[in-house]
Amino acid sequence: MMNVGAAKDGDAVISIRGVSMSYGARRVLDHVDLDVRRGEILVLLGGSGSGKTTLLKHVLGLGKPEAGSITIYGVDITRCPRSELVAVRRRIGVAFQAGALFNSLSVEENVALPLRELTRLADSTIKLVVWMKLMAVGLSEAGSLYPPELSGGMRKRAAVARAMALDPEILILDEPSAGLDPIVSAELDELILFLKRSFGVTILVVTHELESAFHIADRVAMLYQGQLIAVDRKEQFMRNEHPRIRQFLDRQPDAAPGVAAEEFIASYLRGSRI
Amino acid sequence: MTFLEQVGQAAIVRVEDAGALTMQFWSVLCKLPRVLPFVGARRRWRSAVAQMLAIGASALPMSGIMSLCTGFILALQSASELRRYGALDFVVDLVAIGFTRELGPLITALSVSGRSASAISAEIGTMVVTEEIDALQVMGLDPVEFTLAPKYLAALITLPCLTILSTLCGIFAGFLFLAFSMDMSLRIYLLAVAEAILLRDVAFMLIKSLVFATIIVHVGCLEGLRVRGGPEAVGHSTTAAVVKSTFLVILADLVATAIFYLMGWSSLR
Repeated sequence: MMNVGAAKDGDAVISIRGVSMSYGARRVLDHVDLDVRRGEILVLLGGSGSGKTTLLKHVLGLGKPEAGSITIYGVDITRCPRSELVAVRRRIGVAFQAGALFNSLSVEENVALPLRELTRLADSTIKLVVWMKLMAVGLSEAGSLYPPELSGGMRKRAAVARAMALDPEILILDEPSAGLDPIVSAELDELILFLKRSFGVTILVVTHELESAFHIADRVAMLYQGQLIAVDRKEQFMRNEHPRIRQFLDRQPDAAPGVAAEEFIASYLRGSRI
Repeated sequence: MTFLEQVGQAAIVRVEDAGALTMQFWSVLCKLPRVLPFVGARRRWRSAVAQMLAIGASALPMSGIMSLCTGFILALQSASELRRYGALDFVVDLVAIGFTRELGPLITALSVSGRSASAISAEIGTMVVTEEIDALQVMGLDPVEFTLAPKYLAALITLPCLTILSTLCGIFAGFLFLAFSMDMSLRIYLLAVAEAILLRDVAFMLIKSLVFATIIVHVGCLEGLRVRGGPEAVGHSTTAAVVKSTFLVILADLVATAIFYLMGWSSLR
Protein backbone atom coordinates (compact mmCIF):
# COMPACT_ATOMS: atom_id res chain seq x y z
CA MET A 1 0.00 0.00 0.00
CA MET A 2 1.98 2.99 -1.26
CA ASN A 3 0.97 6.36 0.01
CA VAL A 4 1.43 9.91 -1.12
CA GLY A 5 4.20 11.75 0.66
CA ALA A 6 5.96 8.59 1.72
CA ALA A 7 9.54 9.00 2.76
CA LYS A 8 12.20 8.24 0.18
CA ASP A 9 14.59 5.33 0.63
CA GLY A 10 17.00 5.99 3.45
CA ASP A 11 14.78 8.57 5.15
CA ALA A 12 13.76 7.97 8.71
CA VAL A 13 10.21 6.67 9.06
CA ILE A 14 10.47 6.35 12.81
CA SER A 15 12.66 8.83 14.61
CA ILE A 16 13.10 8.65 18.33
CA ARG A 17 14.61 11.74 19.92
CA GLY A 18 15.80 12.04 23.50
CA VAL A 19 13.26 9.61 24.89
CA SER A 20 13.54 9.07 28.65
CA MET A 21 11.43 7.01 30.97
CA SER A 22 11.76 5.77 34.51
CA TYR A 23 9.70 3.56 36.77
CA GLY A 24 10.05 5.00 40.25
CA ALA A 25 13.73 5.64 40.83
CA ARG A 26 14.87 3.22 38.13
CA ARG A 27 15.83 4.84 34.83
CA VAL A 28 14.58 2.51 32.09
CA LEU A 29 15.28 4.70 29.08
CA ASP A 30 17.88 7.46 29.11
CA HIS A 31 17.84 9.96 26.24
CA VAL A 32 17.47 7.42 23.48
CA ASP A 33 17.97 8.69 19.91
CA LEU A 34 17.24 6.24 17.13
CA ASP A 35 16.15 6.38 13.50
CA VAL A 36 14.52 3.58 11.60
CA ARG A 37 15.01 4.20 7.89
CA ARG A 38 12.60 3.29 5.18
CA GLY A 39 13.03 -0.20 3.74
CA GLU A 40 15.66 -1.41 6.19
CA ILE A 41 15.68 -4.12 8.82
CA LEU A 42 16.85 -2.59 12.07
CA VAL A 43 17.56 -5.00 14.88
CA LEU A 44 17.38 -3.63 18.39
CA LEU A 45 19.62 -5.75 20.62
CA GLY A 46 19.75 -5.70 24.36
CA GLY A 47 19.87 -7.97 27.35
CA SER A 48 17.02 -8.57 29.73
CA GLY A 49 16.06 -5.38 31.53
CA SER A 50 17.88 -3.19 29.02
CA GLY A 51 14.69 -1.27 28.28
CA LYS A 52 14.04 -2.61 24.80
CA THR A 53 10.50 -3.73 25.54
CA THR A 54 9.74 -0.36 27.11
CA LEU A 55 11.10 1.43 24.06
CA LEU A 56 8.94 -0.76 21.83
CA LYS A 57 5.82 0.02 23.88
CA HIS A 58 6.52 3.71 23.49
CA VAL A 59 6.99 3.41 19.74
CA LEU A 60 3.55 1.78 19.59
CA GLY A 61 2.06 4.61 21.62
CA LEU A 62 1.18 2.30 24.52
CA GLY A 63 2.98 4.52 26.97
CA LYS A 64 3.98 8.14 27.18
CA PRO A 65 7.69 8.91 27.72
CA GLU A 66 8.69 11.42 30.37
CA ALA A 67 10.77 13.37 27.89
CA GLY A 68 11.56 13.34 24.21
CA SER A 69 9.54 12.68 21.09
CA ILE A 70 8.78 9.76 18.81
CA THR A 71 7.93 10.77 15.27
CA ILE A 72 6.42 8.23 12.90
CA TYR A 73 5.71 9.40 9.36
CA GLY A 74 5.99 12.99 10.52
CA VAL A 75 3.51 12.60 13.37
CA ASP A 76 4.81 13.02 16.92
CA ILE A 77 2.87 10.21 18.56
CA THR A 78 3.75 11.36 22.07
CA ARG A 79 1.77 14.56 21.62
CA CYS A 80 -0.73 14.02 18.81
CA PRO A 81 -4.48 13.57 19.39
CA ARG A 82 -5.85 10.02 19.59
CA SER A 83 -7.31 10.03 16.11
CA GLU A 84 -3.89 10.70 14.58
CA LEU A 85 -2.31 8.00 16.72
CA VAL A 86 -4.90 5.52 15.43
CA ALA A 87 -4.16 6.61 11.86
CA VAL A 88 -0.41 6.09 12.37
CA ARG A 89 -1.01 2.69 13.97
CA ARG A 90 -2.91 1.60 10.88
CA ARG A 91 0.40 1.83 8.99
CA ILE A 92 2.21 -0.36 11.53
CA GLY A 93 1.86 -4.11 11.96
CA VAL A 94 3.01 -5.68 15.20
CA ALA A 95 3.78 -9.28 16.04
CA PHE A 96 4.01 -9.58 19.79
CA GLN A 97 6.36 -11.85 21.65
CA ALA A 98 3.87 -14.58 22.54
CA GLY A 99 1.85 -13.93 19.39
CA ALA A 100 -1.05 -12.29 21.24
CA LEU A 101 -3.45 -14.29 19.07
CA PHE A 102 -7.02 -14.38 20.32
CA ASN A 103 -7.63 -17.85 21.65
CA SER A 104 -11.34 -17.82 20.93
CA LEU A 105 -10.73 -17.23 17.23
CA SER A 106 -9.18 -19.59 14.69
CA VAL A 107 -6.00 -18.59 12.88
CA GLU A 108 -8.00 -17.45 9.86
CA GLU A 109 -10.34 -15.40 12.02
CA ASN A 110 -7.37 -13.89 13.83
CA VAL A 111 -5.87 -12.70 10.56
CA ALA A 112 -9.28 -11.59 9.32
CA LEU A 113 -10.03 -9.61 12.48
CA PRO A 114 -8.33 -6.31 11.52
CA LEU A 115 -9.76 -6.59 8.00
CA ARG A 116 -13.29 -7.20 9.28
CA GLU A 117 -13.17 -4.48 11.90
CA LEU A 118 -11.26 -1.75 10.14
CA THR A 119 -12.09 -2.09 6.44
CA ARG A 120 -15.26 -2.37 4.43
CA LEU A 121 -14.07 -5.28 2.33
CA ALA A 122 -16.58 -7.94 1.33
CA ASP A 123 -16.35 -11.31 3.06
CA SER A 124 -15.11 -13.04 -0.08
CA THR A 125 -12.31 -10.49 -0.48
CA ILE A 126 -11.34 -10.87 3.15
CA LYS A 127 -11.15 -14.63 2.69
CA LEU A 128 -8.83 -14.18 -0.26
CA VAL A 129 -6.59 -11.69 1.55
CA VAL A 130 -6.39 -13.97 4.58
CA TRP A 131 -5.44 -16.89 2.39
CA MET A 132 -2.71 -14.84 0.72
CA LYS A 133 -1.27 -13.72 4.03
CA LEU A 134 -1.29 -17.23 5.45
CA MET A 135 0.30 -18.46 2.21
CA ALA A 136 3.07 -15.87 2.58
CA VAL A 137 3.97 -17.11 6.06
CA GLY A 138 3.55 -20.77 5.09
CA LEU A 139 0.45 -21.46 7.14
CA SER A 140 -2.16 -21.91 4.41
CA GLU A 141 -2.92 -25.42 5.69
CA ALA A 142 -3.39 -24.37 9.32
CA GLY A 143 -6.04 -21.69 8.91
CA SER A 144 -8.80 -23.55 10.69
CA LEU A 145 -6.71 -24.42 13.75
CA TYR A 146 -7.03 -22.54 17.04
CA PRO A 147 -4.02 -20.83 18.66
CA PRO A 148 -3.60 -23.37 21.50
CA GLU A 149 -3.25 -26.11 18.86
CA LEU A 150 -0.32 -24.38 17.19
CA SER A 151 3.36 -24.99 17.82
CA GLY A 152 5.56 -22.09 18.93
CA GLY A 153 6.87 -21.40 15.44
CA MET A 154 3.42 -21.58 13.85
CA ARG A 155 2.09 -19.16 16.43
CA LYS A 156 4.78 -16.61 15.57
CA ARG A 157 4.05 -17.05 11.87
CA ALA A 158 0.36 -16.55 12.49
CA ALA A 159 1.16 -13.42 14.46
CA VAL A 160 3.24 -12.13 11.54
CA ALA A 161 0.39 -12.93 9.15
CA ARG A 162 -2.02 -10.93 11.30
CA ALA A 163 0.46 -8.08 11.57
CA MET A 164 0.68 -8.06 7.75
CA ALA A 165 -3.09 -8.18 7.27
CA LEU A 166 -3.59 -4.49 6.57
CA ASP A 167 -0.45 -4.25 4.39
CA PRO A 168 1.51 -2.15 6.87
CA GLU A 169 4.49 -0.07 5.84
CA ILE A 170 6.29 -0.81 9.09
CA LEU A 171 6.45 -4.23 10.67
CA ILE A 172 7.52 -4.53 14.28
CA LEU A 173 8.53 -7.91 15.63
CA ASP A 174 9.08 -8.49 19.33
CA GLU A 175 11.48 -11.38 20.01
CA PRO A 176 10.54 -13.37 16.89
CA SER A 177 12.95 -16.22 17.62
CA ALA A 178 12.68 -16.43 21.40
CA GLY A 179 11.86 -19.93 22.57
CA LEU A 180 12.14 -21.54 19.13
CA ASP A 181 14.48 -24.31 18.10
CA PRO A 182 17.31 -23.34 15.69
CA ILE A 183 15.59 -24.72 12.58
CA VAL A 184 12.27 -22.98 13.17
CA SER A 185 14.12 -19.84 14.18
CA ALA A 186 16.09 -19.93 10.91
CA GLU A 187 12.85 -20.39 8.97
CA LEU A 188 11.44 -17.33 10.68
CA ASP A 189 14.55 -15.34 9.73
CA GLU A 190 14.03 -16.34 6.11
CA LEU A 191 10.40 -15.27 6.39
CA ILE A 192 11.45 -11.84 7.66
CA LEU A 193 13.93 -11.42 4.79
CA PHE A 194 11.26 -12.60 2.35
CA LEU A 195 8.79 -10.02 3.64
CA LYS A 196 11.35 -7.28 3.24
CA ARG A 197 12.28 -8.37 -0.30
CA SER A 198 8.80 -8.93 -1.63
CA PHE A 199 6.72 -6.28 0.17
CA GLY A 200 9.39 -3.65 0.83
CA VAL A 201 8.27 -3.15 4.40
CA THR A 202 10.44 -1.44 6.96
CA ILE A 203 11.10 -3.91 9.75
CA LEU A 204 12.07 -3.24 13.35
CA VAL A 205 13.07 -6.37 15.22
CA VAL A 206 13.63 -6.49 18.97
CA THR A 207 15.66 -9.48 20.06
CA HIS A 208 18.57 -10.80 22.05
CA GLU A 209 19.35 -13.72 19.75
CA LEU A 210 22.69 -12.80 18.18
CA GLU A 211 22.81 -15.22 15.29
CA SER A 212 19.42 -14.40 13.92
CA ALA A 213 20.03 -10.69 14.55
CA PHE A 214 23.17 -10.61 12.42
CA HIS A 215 21.61 -12.77 9.74
CA ILE A 216 18.66 -10.50 9.06
CA ALA A 217 19.87 -7.05 10.09
CA ASP A 218 20.86 -4.16 7.86
CA ARG A 219 21.67 -2.11 10.92
CA VAL A 220 22.00 -3.08 14.55
CA ALA A 221 21.30 -0.93 17.58
CA MET A 222 22.19 -1.90 21.10
CA LEU A 223 20.52 -0.81 24.30
CA TYR A 224 22.29 -1.18 27.61
CA GLN A 225 20.72 -0.02 30.87
CA GLY A 226 18.40 2.31 29.04
CA GLN A 227 21.10 3.91 26.96
CA LEU A 228 21.70 3.36 23.28
CA ILE A 229 25.40 2.53 23.18
CA ALA A 230 25.74 1.79 19.48
CA VAL A 231 23.84 2.06 16.21
CA ASP A 232 25.72 0.85 13.19
CA ARG A 233 25.66 -1.22 10.03
CA LYS A 234 26.12 -4.77 11.15
CA GLU A 235 29.67 -5.15 9.74
CA GLN A 236 30.90 -2.14 11.73
CA PHE A 237 28.87 -3.17 14.74
CA MET A 238 30.62 -6.51 14.97
CA ARG A 239 33.96 -4.70 15.14
CA ASN A 240 32.79 -2.26 17.83
CA GLU A 241 35.17 -2.18 20.79
CA HIS A 242 32.72 -0.98 23.45
CA PRO A 243 33.29 -3.33 26.41
CA ARG A 244 29.57 -4.03 26.85
CA ILE A 245 29.11 -4.87 23.20
CA ARG A 246 32.16 -7.13 23.26
CA GLN A 247 30.81 -8.82 26.36
CA PHE A 248 27.43 -9.31 24.70
CA LEU A 249 28.89 -10.57 21.41
CA ASP A 250 31.43 -12.86 23.08
CA ARG A 251 28.82 -14.12 25.56
CA GLN A 252 30.86 -13.29 28.69
CA PRO A 253 29.09 -13.41 32.07
CA ASP A 254 28.91 -10.27 34.22
CA ALA A 255 30.63 -11.73 37.25
CA ALA A 256 30.91 -15.38 38.09
CA PRO A 257 28.75 -16.05 41.16
CA GLY A 258 31.38 -18.44 42.56
CA VAL A 259 34.04 -15.72 42.63
CA ALA A 260 31.79 -13.30 44.49
CA ALA A 261 31.02 -15.92 47.10
CA GLU A 262 34.69 -16.70 47.62
CA GLU A 263 35.51 -13.03 48.05
CA PHE A 264 32.74 -12.64 50.57
CA ILE A 265 33.92 -15.62 52.60
CA ALA A 266 37.51 -14.41 52.47
CA SER A 267 36.60 -10.95 53.75
CA TYR A 268 34.40 -12.48 56.43
CA LEU A 269 37.24 -14.67 57.67
CA ARG A 270 39.62 -11.72 57.63
CA GLY A 271 37.15 -9.73 59.69
CA SER A 272 36.52 -12.49 62.19
CA ARG A 273 40.24 -12.95 62.91
CA ILE A 274 40.63 -9.40 64.19
CA MET B 1 8.04 7.60 56.28
CA THR B 2 6.13 9.33 59.04
CA PHE B 3 2.72 8.14 60.11
CA LEU B 4 1.08 11.11 58.36
CA GLU B 5 2.83 10.28 55.10
CA GLN B 6 1.68 6.67 55.35
CA VAL B 7 -1.91 7.75 55.91
CA GLY B 8 -1.68 10.15 52.99
CA GLN B 9 -0.17 7.47 50.74
CA ALA B 10 -2.89 4.97 51.63
CA ALA B 11 -5.58 7.59 51.05
CA ILE B 12 -4.18 8.43 47.63
CA VAL B 13 -4.16 4.75 46.67
CA ARG B 14 -7.81 4.39 47.71
CA VAL B 15 -8.84 7.51 45.82
CA GLU B 16 -6.97 6.27 42.76
CA ASP B 17 -8.85 2.96 43.05
CA ALA B 18 -12.17 4.74 43.19
CA GLY B 19 -11.14 6.95 40.29
CA ALA B 20 -10.11 3.99 38.16
CA LEU B 21 -13.41 2.24 38.91
CA THR B 22 -15.40 5.29 37.89
CA MET B 23 -13.37 5.96 34.74
CA GLN B 24 -13.74 2.37 33.59
CA PHE B 25 -17.45 2.40 34.33
CA TRP B 26 -17.99 5.58 32.36
CA SER B 27 -16.01 4.42 29.35
CA VAL B 28 -17.94 1.15 29.29
CA LEU B 29 -21.27 2.97 29.57
CA CYS B 30 -20.32 5.05 26.52
CA LYS B 31 -19.56 1.89 24.54
CA LEU B 32 -22.58 -0.14 25.69
CA PRO B 33 -24.84 0.91 22.79
CA ARG B 34 -22.30 -0.57 20.35
CA VAL B 35 -23.03 -4.00 21.80
CA LEU B 36 -26.82 -3.85 21.58
CA PRO B 37 -28.56 -5.83 18.86
CA PHE B 38 -29.73 -3.95 15.73
CA VAL B 39 -28.17 -0.58 16.67
CA GLY B 40 -24.69 -1.86 17.54
CA ALA B 41 -22.13 -3.97 15.72
CA ARG B 42 -23.29 -7.45 14.85
CA ARG B 43 -20.15 -9.18 16.07
CA ARG B 44 -20.25 -7.51 19.50
CA TRP B 45 -23.81 -8.69 20.06
CA ARG B 46 -22.74 -12.17 19.15
CA SER B 47 -19.94 -12.12 21.68
CA ALA B 48 -22.37 -10.68 24.24
CA VAL B 49 -24.65 -13.68 23.65
CA ALA B 50 -21.69 -16.01 24.18
CA GLN B 51 -20.99 -14.19 27.44
CA MET B 52 -24.63 -14.50 28.48
CA LEU B 53 -24.39 -18.25 28.07
CA ALA B 54 -21.20 -18.32 30.14
CA ILE B 55 -22.30 -15.93 32.88
CA GLY B 56 -26.01 -16.70 32.97
CA ALA B 57 -27.17 -19.96 31.49
CA SER B 58 -24.43 -22.15 32.90
CA ALA B 59 -24.85 -20.60 36.37
CA LEU B 60 -28.51 -21.58 36.43
CA PRO B 61 -28.19 -25.10 37.88
CA MET B 62 -25.90 -23.93 40.65
CA SER B 63 -27.87 -20.88 41.75
CA GLY B 64 -31.13 -22.80 41.32
CA ILE B 65 -30.06 -25.62 43.59
CA MET B 66 -28.53 -23.20 46.10
CA SER B 67 -31.83 -21.33 46.29
CA LEU B 68 -33.80 -24.55 46.56
CA CYS B 69 -31.68 -25.67 49.50
CA THR B 70 -31.75 -22.28 51.18
CA GLY B 71 -35.51 -22.06 50.76
CA PHE B 72 -35.93 -25.44 52.38
CA ILE B 73 -33.58 -24.53 55.21
CA LEU B 74 -35.41 -21.27 55.80
CA ALA B 75 -38.74 -23.09 55.92
CA LEU B 76 -37.40 -25.74 58.29
CA GLN B 77 -35.78 -23.27 60.67
CA SER B 78 -38.71 -20.90 60.81
CA ALA B 79 -41.26 -23.70 61.09
CA SER B 80 -39.73 -25.06 64.27
CA GLU B 81 -40.20 -21.65 65.92
CA LEU B 82 -43.50 -20.65 64.35
CA ARG B 83 -45.09 -23.99 65.17
CA ARG B 84 -44.86 -23.13 68.87
CA TYR B 85 -47.19 -20.19 68.26
CA GLY B 86 -49.41 -22.19 65.95
CA ALA B 87 -48.50 -19.89 63.10
CA LEU B 88 -47.13 -22.43 60.65
CA ASP B 89 -48.86 -20.73 57.71
CA PHE B 90 -46.61 -17.71 58.22
CA VAL B 91 -43.82 -19.83 56.79
CA VAL B 92 -45.30 -18.94 53.39
CA ASP B 93 -44.93 -15.22 54.01
CA LEU B 94 -41.46 -15.61 55.41
CA VAL B 95 -40.15 -17.65 52.51
CA ALA B 96 -41.92 -15.62 49.82
CA ILE B 97 -40.99 -12.17 51.12
CA GLY B 98 -37.56 -13.26 52.29
CA PHE B 99 -36.69 -14.63 48.90
CA THR B 100 -38.05 -11.86 46.72
CA ARG B 101 -36.59 -9.05 48.75
CA GLU B 102 -33.38 -10.55 49.97
CA LEU B 103 -32.25 -14.10 49.44
CA GLY B 104 -33.06 -14.49 45.74
CA PRO B 105 -30.87 -11.61 44.57
CA LEU B 106 -28.19 -12.30 47.18
CA ILE B 107 -27.75 -16.01 46.55
CA THR B 108 -27.73 -15.48 42.80
CA ALA B 109 -25.19 -12.70 43.11
CA LEU B 110 -22.96 -14.78 45.37
CA SER B 111 -23.00 -17.78 43.07
CA VAL B 112 -22.37 -15.62 39.99
CA SER B 113 -19.61 -13.73 41.76
CA GLY B 114 -17.93 -17.00 42.64
CA ARG B 115 -18.23 -18.35 39.12
CA SER B 116 -17.99 -15.33 36.86
CA ALA B 117 -16.01 -12.63 38.66
CA SER B 118 -13.12 -15.07 38.77
CA ALA B 119 -13.67 -16.21 35.18
CA ILE B 120 -13.87 -12.64 33.89
CA SER B 121 -10.77 -11.48 35.71
CA ALA B 122 -8.85 -14.58 34.65
CA GLU B 123 -9.82 -14.10 31.02
CA ILE B 124 -8.96 -10.42 30.93
CA GLY B 125 -5.86 -10.90 33.06
CA THR B 126 -4.59 -13.52 30.63
CA MET B 127 -5.27 -11.17 27.76
CA VAL B 128 -3.15 -8.53 29.50
CA VAL B 129 -0.30 -10.96 30.19
CA THR B 130 -0.22 -12.33 26.65
CA GLU B 131 -0.34 -8.77 25.28
CA GLU B 132 -3.70 -9.36 23.58
CA ILE B 133 -5.03 -6.10 25.03
CA ASP B 134 -1.97 -4.29 23.64
CA ALA B 135 -2.51 -6.03 20.31
CA LEU B 136 -6.11 -4.79 20.19
CA GLN B 137 -5.02 -1.25 20.90
CA VAL B 138 -2.27 -1.35 18.31
CA MET B 139 -4.70 -2.71 15.73
CA GLY B 140 -6.88 0.29 16.43
CA LEU B 141 -9.63 -1.70 18.14
CA ASP B 142 -10.93 -0.44 21.45
CA PRO B 143 -10.40 -3.06 24.18
CA VAL B 144 -13.27 -1.56 26.16
CA GLU B 145 -15.71 -2.05 23.33
CA PHE B 146 -14.21 -5.33 22.26
CA THR B 147 -13.87 -7.21 25.55
CA LEU B 148 -15.47 -5.29 28.42
CA ALA B 149 -18.75 -4.02 27.00
CA PRO B 150 -20.13 -7.44 25.94
CA LYS B 151 -19.48 -8.76 29.45
CA TYR B 152 -21.24 -5.82 31.07
CA LEU B 153 -24.27 -6.19 28.85
CA ALA B 154 -24.37 -9.94 29.40
CA ALA B 155 -24.25 -9.55 33.18
CA LEU B 156 -26.85 -6.79 33.21
CA ILE B 157 -29.27 -8.91 31.20
CA THR B 158 -28.68 -12.33 32.70
CA LEU B 159 -28.42 -11.56 36.40
CA PRO B 160 -32.02 -10.29 36.76
CA CYS B 161 -33.23 -13.34 34.81
CA LEU B 162 -31.22 -15.66 37.02
CA THR B 163 -32.50 -13.86 40.10
CA ILE B 164 -36.12 -14.37 39.06
CA LEU B 165 -35.54 -18.05 38.40
CA SER B 166 -33.71 -18.73 41.62
CA THR B 167 -36.32 -16.80 43.62
CA LEU B 168 -38.92 -19.10 42.08
CA CYS B 169 -36.79 -22.06 43.11
CA GLY B 170 -36.58 -20.79 46.69
CA ILE B 171 -40.31 -20.20 46.89
CA PHE B 172 -40.92 -23.64 45.43
CA ALA B 173 -38.76 -25.13 48.19
CA GLY B 174 -41.08 -23.50 50.70
CA PHE B 175 -43.97 -25.27 49.00
CA LEU B 176 -42.18 -28.62 49.17
CA PHE B 177 -41.78 -28.26 52.91
CA LEU B 178 -45.39 -27.23 53.51
CA ALA B 179 -46.72 -29.94 51.23
CA PHE B 180 -44.93 -32.55 53.31
CA SER B 181 -45.68 -31.11 56.71
CA MET B 182 -49.17 -29.64 56.24
CA ASP B 183 -50.40 -31.32 53.04
CA MET B 184 -50.83 -27.85 51.58
CA SER B 185 -51.87 -27.89 47.93
CA LEU B 186 -49.90 -25.97 45.31
CA ARG B 187 -52.90 -23.79 44.49
CA ILE B 188 -53.36 -22.58 48.03
CA TYR B 189 -49.64 -22.07 48.44
CA LEU B 190 -49.39 -19.93 45.32
CA LEU B 191 -52.40 -17.87 46.36
CA ALA B 192 -50.78 -17.25 49.71
CA VAL B 193 -47.52 -16.27 48.02
CA ALA B 194 -49.32 -13.88 45.69
CA GLU B 195 -51.00 -12.37 48.71
CA ALA B 196 -47.70 -11.91 50.51
CA ILE B 197 -45.61 -10.34 47.75
CA LEU B 198 -46.14 -6.82 46.50
CA LEU B 199 -45.09 -5.50 43.12
CA ARG B 200 -42.58 -3.20 44.78
CA ASP B 201 -40.86 -6.21 46.34
CA VAL B 202 -40.30 -7.55 42.86
CA ALA B 203 -39.05 -4.17 41.67
CA PHE B 204 -36.74 -4.07 44.69
CA MET B 205 -35.42 -7.48 43.73
CA LEU B 206 -34.70 -6.47 40.15
CA ILE B 207 -32.99 -3.23 41.15
CA LYS B 208 -30.80 -5.12 43.58
CA SER B 209 -29.85 -7.69 40.98
CA LEU B 210 -28.86 -4.94 38.53
CA VAL B 211 -26.64 -3.35 41.17
CA PHE B 212 -25.05 -6.71 41.98
CA ALA B 213 -24.49 -7.46 38.29
CA THR B 214 -22.67 -4.16 37.88
CA ILE B 215 -20.48 -4.80 40.91
CA ILE B 216 -19.53 -8.33 39.87
CA VAL B 217 -18.62 -7.59 36.27
CA HIS B 218 -16.98 -4.30 37.16
CA VAL B 219 -14.69 -5.72 39.83
CA GLY B 220 -13.89 -8.73 37.65
CA CYS B 221 -12.87 -6.55 34.71
CA LEU B 222 -10.88 -4.08 36.81
CA GLU B 223 -8.94 -6.79 38.62
CA GLY B 224 -8.21 -8.42 35.27
CA LEU B 225 -6.96 -5.21 33.71
CA ARG B 226 -4.75 -4.56 36.72
CA VAL B 227 -2.70 -7.71 36.19
CA ARG B 228 0.97 -6.88 35.74
CA GLY B 229 3.75 -9.35 35.21
CA GLY B 230 3.48 -13.05 34.58
CA PRO B 231 0.80 -15.72 34.71
CA GLU B 232 1.02 -16.03 38.52
CA ALA B 233 -0.38 -12.51 38.76
CA VAL B 234 -3.54 -13.80 37.07
CA GLY B 235 -4.09 -16.15 39.99
CA HIS B 236 -3.85 -13.30 42.47
CA SER B 237 -6.26 -11.21 40.47
CA THR B 238 -8.91 -13.94 40.30
CA THR B 239 -8.76 -14.38 44.06
CA ALA B 240 -8.97 -10.64 44.58
CA ALA B 241 -11.89 -10.42 42.16
CA VAL B 242 -13.94 -13.04 44.00
CA VAL B 243 -13.17 -11.68 47.45
CA LYS B 244 -13.80 -8.05 46.53
CA SER B 245 -16.94 -8.66 44.52
CA THR B 246 -18.47 -10.89 47.22
CA PHE B 247 -17.66 -8.32 49.87
CA LEU B 248 -19.01 -5.43 47.82
CA VAL B 249 -22.18 -7.33 46.93
CA ILE B 250 -23.02 -7.84 50.59
CA LEU B 251 -22.11 -4.25 51.42
CA ALA B 252 -24.30 -2.95 48.60
CA ASP B 253 -27.10 -5.24 49.74
CA LEU B 254 -26.92 -3.71 53.21
CA VAL B 255 -26.93 -0.17 51.83
CA ALA B 256 -29.81 -0.85 49.43
CA THR B 257 -31.89 -2.58 52.10
CA ALA B 258 -31.22 0.23 54.56
CA ILE B 259 -32.32 2.82 52.01
CA PHE B 260 -35.51 0.93 51.30
CA TYR B 261 -36.17 0.52 54.99
CA LEU B 262 -35.57 4.19 55.77
CA MET B 263 -37.80 5.26 52.89
CA GLY B 264 -40.53 3.19 54.54
CA TRP B 265 -41.02 1.01 51.47
CA SER B 266 -40.53 -2.20 53.35
CA SER B 267 -42.64 -1.42 56.38
CA LEU B 268 -45.47 -3.72 57.37
CA ARG B 269 -48.45 -3.40 55.12
